[in-house]
Amino acid sequence: MDDLLFRRNIYADPKTPDPDVISAINSDPAKQKFAHELEQLDQKIFDALNVPVPEELSEKLILRQSLASHQQQKKSTRIKLAVAASVAFAIGLTVNQLQFSHAYSSIGDYAIAHTNHEAKQFSNNAEANVTLTALNKKMASFNGQFSADLGELIMAEFCRFDGMKSLHLVLKGQNSPVNIYVVPANDHLAYMKEFTNGELNGVVNDFKASQIIVVGDTQEPLKQWQEKINQNIRWST
Amino acid sequence: MATKQVRYEALVKALHSDLYRYAYWLCHEKQVAEDLVQETFLRAWRALDSLKDEKAAKSWLITILRRENARRFERKRFEMSEYEEATITDTRSTSSEQEIENHWLREKIAQMPEEYREPLVLQVIGGFSGEEIASMLSLNKNTVMTRLFRARNQLKEALDEEPKLRGQYNG
Repeated sequence: MDDLLFRRNIYADPKTPDPDVISAINSDPAKQKFAHELEQLDQKIFDALNVPVPEELSEKLILRQSLASHQQQKKSTRIKLAVAASVAFAIGLTVNQLQFSHAYSSIGDYAIAHTNHEAKQFSNNAEANVTLTALNKKMASFNGQFSADLGELIMAEFCRFDGMKSLHLVLKGQNSPVNIYVVPANDHLAYMKEFTNGELNGVVNDFKASQIIVVGDTQEPLKQWQEKINQNIRWST
Repeated sequence: MATKQVRYEALVKALHSDLYRYAYWLCHEKQVAEDLVQETFLRAWRALDSLKDEKAAKSWLITILRRENARRFERKRFEMSEYEEATITDTRSTSSEQEIENHWLREKIAQMPEEYREPLVLQVIGGFSGEEIASMLSLNKNTVMTRLFRARNQLKEALDEEPKLRGQYNG
């Protein structure tokens, strides 16, 4: 290795692991001396570069980090809370949507579905002890009155008829209970005068502000029921 | 969480001195160097999960610090006056022979062009090889070796003239 290259190499990196440089040092006393000088120079450079590090810098660094990550944690709790609130809100909306959305397109479909859904709760042999007064109290919210009993009334309760507040009456029929729904007039359920699904028939009376739907089994003389309602109903407006 | 904390603290303890010294030679101001190191470690904490190889930690941190330093110049483009930095360190108070020489050499290093000084600091303080320095500074290895050669050459020449200068201190 020539002298110039040797100098270049050793100047660039006095601790070079290059075997050529190392063997050159070992074989030539002059180079050895030179390498030794350079080592001393590097020690001086090292000392000079080793400026004092501020005391407690590492403690400061750790402290700042823990403060920062504490902030971050607080922020992330806030975010988590916000996410939870959003989810709850979304669930609320969905439930609301499901409950009050109109899954049925016609009044008949819904009336039959509703009747079937609750059919198990009512038996034709149940005690019929709802009075006309009690019924009329409830009818008041539809601005209607019945002037006489329609039949043996098993139940009269407000219920949701496809999202609308309505009055559900269950009366004793010939073989099975007859369901009467008093429903506010609406646009989203298609009106139909009569409907059937083979097991249940239904007829609809369209009044100004309300519709009265009668649902009963195929044996039931629905027309007679309808007529009876027409004779007895009084609307106050 | 706890393990991340442990990792971080180990990293700080092992590397903050080297990083501070590197920062100091990059900006020549103690306070700025300290701020740079703080900013660097804060960023390192946020990105700690991306550090897979502990051996690469030092060069990773130095890369972050260089970026922080560059950002500092973007933020405020104050001109660093070329050489008022004679007051670069105040270790003059202790006036042993060794300290005086150290101080004198520090000034020489500070006066050296940035492009020579940076590889030298990385090599001597950081203990990086020519290849590693080359990849950190995005230079090729030959350029780095040439700069290291020139850096030492300058210091050697300066030191060879030193006795005259030291005479001034001795009065």
